[in-house]
Amino acid sequence: MSVTPSVAEEAKRYQREWFRGLRARVAGGEPFAVVNADAPQEILRAMDFPYVVSQWWASIIAAKQRSRDYLDLVRERGYPDYTEQYNSVVLGSAFDPDPAGGPWGGLPRPTLLLGDATGDVTRRIFDVWAHEPGVAFYPLESAAENEVPTNWWELMPYRWEEAVGATRLDLLEAELEGLVRFLESTTGRVFSEARFREVLALVNEQQEWNLRTRDLIARTRPAPLPVSDTIPGVMVPQWHRGTEWGRDMARAFHDEVAARVAAGDAVCPEERLRLMWIGRGLWHDMGLYRRFEQSHGAVFVWSMYLAIAADGYRRYGGRPLRQLAARFAAFTDQLYMPPWAGAWYVKEARLHGVDGVVHLVSDDPRGSWFTTRALRDAGFPVFELRADNVDASAGYDGGAALGEWLDATF
Amino acid sequence: MRALLSVYEARYPREAEFVVGYVGADVPVELITAAGALPVRLAGDPDGDLSAGDTYLGRGLDPMARSVLARLLAGDYGRLDKLVVSRDCEASLRLFYAVRELRRIEPAFGLPEVYLVDVLHLPHRTTTAYNLARLEQFRQRLRDWTGRPVSDADLAAAIASHDEQRALLSSLAAARREGRIAGSDWLAVVGAGTVLPVAAHLSLLRELSTVDLPEHAGKRVFLTGSSHDTPHVYRALESAGHLIVGEDHDWGDLWYRRRVDGHTLLALAERYQYNGPTAQRSTVDERRALIAEGMRHAELLIGYARRGDEAPPWDFAGHEGLFYERQDYGRIAL
Repeated sequence: MSVTPSVAEEAKRYQREWFRGLRARVAGGEPFAVVNADAPQEILRAMDFPYVVSQWWASIIAAKQRSRDYLDLVRERGYPDYTEQYNSVVLGSAFDPDPAGGPWGGLPRPTLLLGDATGDVTRRIFDVWAHEPGVAFYPLESAAENEVPTNWWELMPYRWEEAVGATRLDLLEAELEGLVRFLESTTGRVFSEARFREVLALVNEQQEWNLRTRDLIARTRPAPLPVSDTIPGVMVPQWHRGTEWGRDMARAFHDEVAARVAAGDAVCPEERLRLMWIGRGLWHDMGLYRRFEQSHGAVFVWSMYLAIAADGYRRYGGRPLRQLAARFAAFTDQLYMPPWAGAWYVKEARLHGVDGVVHLVSDDPRGSWFTTRALRDAGFPVFELRADNVDASAGYDGGAALGEWLDATF
Repeated sequence: MRALLSVYEARYPREAEFVVGYVGADVPVELITAAGALPVRLAGDPDGDLSAGDTYLGRGLDPMARSVLARLLAGDYGRLDKLVVSRDCEASLRLFYAVRELRRIEPAFGLPEVYLVDVLHLPHRTTTAYNLARLEQFRQRLRDWTGRPVSDADLAAAIASHDEQRALLSSLAAARREGRIAGSDWLAVVGAGTVLPVAAHLSLLRELSTVDLPEHAGKRVFLTGSSHDTPHVYRALESAGHLIVGEDHDWGDLWYRRRVDGHTLLALAERYQYNGPTAQRSTVDERRALIAEGMRHAELLIGYARRGDEAPPWDFAGHEGLFYERQDYGRIAL
């Protein structure tokens, strides 16, 4: 039996309504930001500055099968259509000659772009976008550390200074001071320290509910809901973190999962294999996550979205801006840098009692080998699925090889 | 010229008492020199076996970094007491993580101790403060490695030597722009300085400055795009009748373009922050200005981007010229 949780449906409904409202606010002359998922959005939240997370918009584009259209627009401007497609598709949507024809009525023209200089291309994409009239780009550095303690998920909530390192925190805290002054000066909006502290507290409360939900799902057999429902259930509120709605939806999501567990609901009552999905969501084929339930009794019980919400965001104590810096100064490292990523995935695999792991390996530079190695060393069979998460044309086989691997391995 | 070519072609190993291999032009070599060690920049090999690098770094990453890792694992570089990696591009950062982790989980590989010098490039004082802190930490690490502190006087002397090296290269670059040094030879003139002690390189550069160099024939080209740690692509272009008189990568003109012009750690931090602009660490506008400057001495713009090196193709938009994207390492499909 599989029942779509109402929180996921409510989150999707709310997101459409919120986006309509956002479009109306921008049409009414308010500023509007496109921000990277790894950038500190809480400052914008505290200033009531409307924003959209670029990765969320990319997922909508991919779900509407518009990625190729927008990548073609990037190519028409003379830029490559094959680099960092997660951000490139969003840039392409800005070049759309018929923006209202885009998904959900189209993305409004931003006045601010906020992102960190991850990789070699992100800064360039935002910089090119900032050539459009009225668009400003506020870049943040992406910094790295020599020696880091492995057990970041234990240290991050309270001992983040130790986990991240003071040098990186000094940098990002100073950059955020500058961002606040920049926004105050250019928009006339007020940054209230009291309001900012409320936002930080709401974020922590929201992730505390996600932590409870993650732990509940981890210990429940058979799995009470599929990852294709946990992803919208946790991520739509995640894009609204720092609001009461976000906090309340995380609590409602937890209560709903708890009710399903109490009622004995199961994604697949004949669950025989518990699978872990490592990597970004496969937005162009979300059906993959349910494809092997009937044939193999295989259920995806884990994706990073709920787990990183549980372990990756909570920060307590210290100066508020520094606390926020601690959330993002090493955010990508948590998911992709050895030894942090591998050690965490192994911890999560054990917590959820998974039988096997499906690891999405794209043509971008992430620490894939080390993640796979850590999991295999810990005794988990791993299938590396080669695909791009937004571009369906990039050699994706529809899951055929995964099915063969399940046949051969279990 | 013959001596410089011979040093470049004989890369590696170099003999010295303490060799610090380094990856990326963002490593402040002045500090290594000041510590009494020999900085040796690691190049890949397009004709070598990349498979070990492919395994640990994945095939989506710049093959130059994959090749460096493969060569490190194969012991191609001779004596390497330590390894220092910069954040000049994503591939270098990934290489650092890979070496650090392989040392932990595969100690039998015998990889050298690796250290990241995380020099960043946004044009802000917050970044300067960060870079200064990182350079101070690197200075301390060098003291731990060599057993002696890097004094202010040591640092000032090393900066002066490396700045003289940059000044001499800038002076010789005038002859190169006039077509009297072929592009592939220029890679050797510059590249010899990435493996020789700075004093030895200075001596060879001074000697070259006194030579009357003949003019080469060929269509004068400014080359934009990926960096070239070997002369393979330059030679292919030269065989097609091109004469490369300038480029915008840091195995060539960007290696020496900016001087420290000071003697302190802060001056050094600012030099590395504002050095470049490389494709991976700058804006399209900064690169456009650099290309325009280079084209003052060239008849043709050629853009070259290696497969896996994702930043350079963003610079090609809006320019007239010949553009080669997604090329195999060390190859160009003319």
